[in-house]
Amino acid sequence: MKIHRYTRSSAPDALDGEMEIDVTPIMNMFVILIPFLVSMAVFTHLAIIRFSLPSNASAQLEDLSGKPTPKLTVVVSQKYLALTHGETLLDSLSVADGRFQEADFVKKLTSLRIGRGLGEEVIIASHDTVVFERVVAVMDYCSEAGFTKIGLSEGTVDPAKGI
Amino acid sequence: MRNKTFTGAGSLSRSEAFRPQLTSLIDVMTILLVFLIKSFSAEGSLITVPRDIAPPVSVSSRAKPPHVIPTVSVSREHVLFNDSIVATVRDIDSKDSLSIEPLFERIRAMRGDGRAGEAILIQADRLLPFHTVKKVMYTCNKAGCRDFSFLVIHEG
Repeated sequence: MKIHRYTRSSAPDALDGEMEIDVTPIMNMFVILIPFLVSMAVFTHLAIIRFSLPSNASAQLEDLSGKPTPKLTVVVSQKYLALTHGETLLDSLSVADGRFQEADFVKKLTSLRIGRGLGEEVIIASHDTVVFERVVAVMDYCSEAGFTKIGLSEGTVDPAKGI
Repeated sequence: MRNKTFTGAGSLSRSEAFRPQLTSLIDVMTILLVFLIKSFSAEGSLITVPRDIAPPVSVSSRAKPPHVIPTVSVSREHVLFNDSIVATVRDIDSKDSLSIEPLFERIRAMRGDGRAGEAILIQADRLLPFHTVKKVMYTCNKAGCRDFSFLVIHEG
């Protein structure tokens, strides 16, 4: 009777089969790290924008005897943005469906700031019906144009009528 | 004729235990880990935004990280001072007066105790009309606040 003996003919070659890596420790590390990082992750970055009110703002609305020093003013309304200095209208931009040419606006602001030497202060006078989001956007554009001091004020719908 | 598989000493092969492919899972975990490490913040969030307020977005490079100061929160329904309701937006819109008396009293009381300085943080919903925010600013200014900040969501 022939007895067949099965033996390995040669040592196992690492190139013959795929090398298996034990990933259990890596998975253990991920299971601990990922919940910790999820709890510490910040997905919404909050920031603050500083601004000022015109000097004696509360008094100014009650007593109109004092005249403020003219500064570059951006009047924000539903239909237009107007750049004024005192009682002089310097430029304007139309607003259609809440949208306007931001790049043009920043360019105009920058040229006025540099060309007329208006300093680094700007007042944003917004009409009551303008949404707050638009006011903040205009503040951003003024900041982009190089104005470091931004003031907020009320824009009169009918200047002839007064406040 | 039934086929049989002979291995080793000739016995039938035992069915092996199911081994899931972990390679793709490791790939997902690695990408998630890299993203979360990027979003990691040791400072955490010092300011809590009420759920019903969506702050406006700002791309300004001059926007600064928030710090803890007295906060006036204005949602579409309520006006809160340091997380307690002082007035409703409907009430203040219905009045012609620019001053919000309950808010004025609270700020004055806090400043009188020395618990607050001239700084105030206003967090308002992005879709609020400006006249509501104007009344809040007027009231804060009347109560002695001079250093104003708006809370925004910073992008870019």
